[in-house]
Amino acid sequence: MNSSDLRYLMNLPKFEYFEPKTIEEACSLLHKYKGDAMVLAGGTDLLVSMKKREISPKYLVNIKTIPDLNYIRYNGEGLLQIGALATLNEIKDAKIVKEKFPLVAEAAEKSGLPTTRNVATMAGNLCNALPAADSAPLLICLGAKVKIQGVEGSRTMLVEDFFVDSKVNALQNGEMVTEIQVPVLPDNSAGVYLKNPERSVTDVAVVSVGTVITMDAKRAKVVDAKIVLGATAPTPMRAHKAENTIKGKTLDQELIEKAALAASKEAKPRTRPDYKRELVRVLTIRAIKQATI
Amino acid sequence: MKKRIELTINGEHYEFNVEPWRTLVEVIREEAGLTGAKESCGTGECGNCLVILDGKPVNSCLVLAVDANGKDILTIEGVAEGEKLHPLQKAFVDHGAIQCGFCTPGMILAAKSFLEKNPKPTRMETKEAMEGVLCRCTGYVRILDAVLAASQEMMQENKTATKGGK
Repeated sequence: MNSSDLRYLMNLPKFEYFEPKTIEEACSLLHKYKGDAMVLAGGTDLLVSMKKREISPKYLVNIKTIPDLNYIRYNGEGLLQIGALATLNEIKDAKIVKEKFPLVAEAAEKSGLPTTRNVATMAGNLCNALPAADSAPLLICLGAKVKIQGVEGSRTMLVEDFFVDSKVNALQNGEMVTEIQVPVLPDNSAGVYLKNPERSVTDVAVVSVGTVITMDAKRAKVVDAKIVLGATAPTPMRAHKAENTIKGKTLDQELIEKAALAASKEAKPRTRPDYKRELVRVLTIRAIKQATI
Repeated sequence: MKKRIELTINGEHYEFNVEPWRTLVEVIREEAGLTGAKESCGTGECGNCLVILDGKPVNSCLVLAVDANGKDILTIEGVAEGEKLHPLQKAFVDHGAIQCGFCTPGMILAAKSFLEKNPKPTRMETKEAMEGVLCRCTGYVRILDAVLAASQEMMQENKTATKGGK
């Protein structure tokens, strides 16, 4: 029996395969083959899309053969640096992340299955640019950036701006993400990521809400608020009106409900709008409360 | 174009020439002839193809064989020591945790790597750790019973081993 007899299984389409040894080599391959080449990191999204014949790249550029892209480190100046090859479980379990960046650990922990997290990378989760990308809402709340390397140099960009459309990221031809940079949480801040279904084994989130709220020193007023909705628009989106509703104010039940209602109106769900808007409202109430306890 | 890869599976050295689009589960089953790992969904949802790759449980249907080059793989065939069953295998038999048996290899490997990290888990922790493997017979209660019983057994064995070593 050879593999062509196993047609009932999900085989991969054929492709040409590269193992670059440097970032420069990877970028020049991506540049050379334009839209026909894709980056392989964890592969847990890419290979599934290929098996389902949603995409059939002619060339795969495996960046796992590039040394020094797998790191998680604190630069000592308020910035967590996550290499493109750091897996979700490595991020979740890293001492520095647990101690200083608990919300990054939460974003990693709430993405995918335990087995998937051993392979899938956070950078890959962002690059796939799914509206329901589980690591995106909290990273956007935290003001995280991606470092992008191309054939003509590097640039950084807010994760918020990196999502362009459903499954479309801001990478140009010949570019790849090499690092995620997360600034340390300001004092008197807390956050949470909630999704529905809460623990879904196989499905992507129907709706998710990430929030980070900064209070004043007396913990009386909201100084800053970030509320990001997942799976309710072509990209993860900031709920600006909801944020502005609570900024500078003292929180009470009425105000929280007002903000949540604003968030549900801002959401732009493409499917099941009534149901999703109601989920946004309920999850936003819970998220604001949990982030300000 | 085929690529030459070297794998260590259950302690044995293998060399294969594989096309880059072959997945690890295909190569383990079709080239190495080890059919314990099953390909079922092919999309990383069911965990039936679970193997331990360099110490970590992964879905081998979503790993390219070329990407596993040089790595160490444990499949269900490598869990028993000769005729002596691993405590998890024995517990699955004793607790009737095997119905059709299709998910059993993935369940036992997921449990094995989990218990190595967390030897004395709660039932809830065990559930969460094993959520990546699906049993379509839905025999989860006995599977959890078996894993928790095996964890007791393994702790006991470790204690005895430590005492014996002194």
